[in-house]
Amino acid sequence: MDSLLTNFISPYYIKVFTLVGIYIIIALGLNFISGVTGQLSFGHAAFVSIGAYTAAILTTRWQLPFLPSLLAGGLLAAVVGILFGFPILRLTGDYLGIATLGFGEIVIVIFQNMEITGGTIGLSGIAKHSSFTLVVIIVIFTIWSMYRMQSSRFGRALMAIREDEIAANVMGINTTAYKIQSFGIGSFFAGIGGGLYAHTIQYLNPTDFGFARSFDYLTFVVLGGLGSIPGTVLGTTILTLAPEFLRFVAEYRMMIYGALMVIMMIFRPRGLLGGVNLTKTIRTLKKQKKTPLPGDV
Amino acid sequence: MPELLKLDNVSINFGGLTAVDGLNMTLTKGNIRALIGPNGAGKSTIFNLVTGIYAPSMGKIFFQDQIINKLSPHIITSMGIARTFQNIRLFSNLSVIDNVKIGHHCRSGGSFIGALLRTLATKKEEALIQKRALDCLALMELTDKAEELAGNLSYGEQRRLEIARALATKPALLCLDEPAAGMNPIEKEKLANIIRKIKHMGITIFLVEHDMKFVMNLAERVTVLDYGKKITSGTPAEVQHNPAVIEAYLGKEVI
Repeated sequence: MDSLLTNFISPYYIKVFTLVGIYIIIALGLNFISGVTGQLSFGHAAFVSIGAYTAAILTTRWQLPFLPSLLAGGLLAAVVGILFGFPILRLTGDYLGIATLGFGEIVIVIFQNMEITGGTIGLSGIAKHSSFTLVVIIVIFTIWSMYRMQSSRFGRALMAIREDEIAANVMGINTTAYKIQSFGIGSFFAGIGGGLYAHTIQYLNPTDFGFARSFDYLTFVVLGGLGSIPGTVLGTTILTLAPEFLRFVAEYRMMIYGALMVIMMIFRPRGLLGGVNLTKTIRTLKKQKKTPLPGDV
Repeated sequence: MPELLKLDNVSINFGGLTAVDGLNMTLTKGNIRALIGPNGAGKSTIFNLVTGIYAPSMGKIFFQDQIINKLSPHIITSMGIARTFQNIRLFSNLSVIDNVKIGHHCRSGGSFIGALLRTLATKKEEALIQKRALDCLALMELTDKAEELAGNLSYGEQRRLEIARALATKPALLCLDEPAAGMNPIEKEKLANIIRKIKHMGITIFLVEHDMKFVMNLAERVTVLDYGKKITSGTPAEVQHNPAVIEAYLGKEVI
């Protein structure tokens, strides 16, 4: 499929769009934790790194096939997320944010000091197993599963926790158990994204997963609209592509990027699609077209 | 008459402050019991103790003959105690019907795997939750608001939605924390009728309220609290004429 696409688009752009797809998977994972469940996480890149390293080590050192390695990376990220979630998800708001920030730093230091990960030199020689087509398939799967989970009893419980944790608890929701599950699921998608990233970029370095990356993911989600799936997709796409398409302004690139974010947050404080119910909006738009105004007749 | 809820010498301290002091109280099944007292008397604290938000420092709380002292709120809810909040705590960014559906959480199962696969069982359960939620909304006369955001409702409607959400948990005991606050006389009258209706469904009602007319018309027994201690307990008429109650509310006559 990818070879077919190269006839129309340059390989460079295919790579850019592949990365957009990967970031969408990762950002949707974070959206599940922060947007749907309302748990602030500044350590999302750490879960990405766990998935990336796990998948990369399995394919390079142990010569395992790619897809099982990818899945293993996701699962390990989820397990770490769950184990880590037990002690820290008792915290709320800013305090939780700081704890996840600390966690992210710990993970990086561990990877820098492990032999199997190549330490500070990083892990190179990873085969290019991922493709644009595969990423698109996984993006679609991620969006589909996010929709299904959000519009269920499970998703409602998570949103209740976001809205008011005490009220959710009194309404019969085991808030701790649900927060941990949400953390596990969000981390799983981070890990999957990480595995794809490793086999696209083909080189891993712990510093690529620092808190600056975590903030990038959080920016994608917040700018798109916390809790909104289309918002997260849109926010990630815009913010990943903006630096690429702003290359013509050379050194002012990052300044414009920053200004863009400030302006967007002023005009859409809840994010681009925050608080917008797309299906509802489309339905009302259709209705408006059907019913002619009295003046039209 | 069988007793549903029993507080046995219950106390709670916050640092040096004793908010509830050695309270003994028994709620009979199928009754409407009111709890009144001046501001800061500890009424809401008692609700927080009963629903598991606080654990008592001393004493025991029995619900259907089981000690519920140290249980988490969600377990207590699944046992059959539901409540509303004095300062409305709805899930304001969710739709009215979703609020009520969340109330039904502890009466249904289904994990995220069921949600992903959308199995037959999940679909069936979802339909049941939907039906139950609509029933609760109909009872509280909120059916036409089902798709609106809870935060956009009027104050009185929000109070009614809180009751609908609590009813969705299928409680045996419903604790209402100032349900009539901020309502006009017509709304209050409507609310009183709804509460009577809920009572006839076999649900025991535990009511905290400041509006004396509302309480005296509705409650079968009234307990008066002041500074965390029980002053008296009895029928509305008995309580109204008790000198200790008058003193707590109006102060002592100085001669």
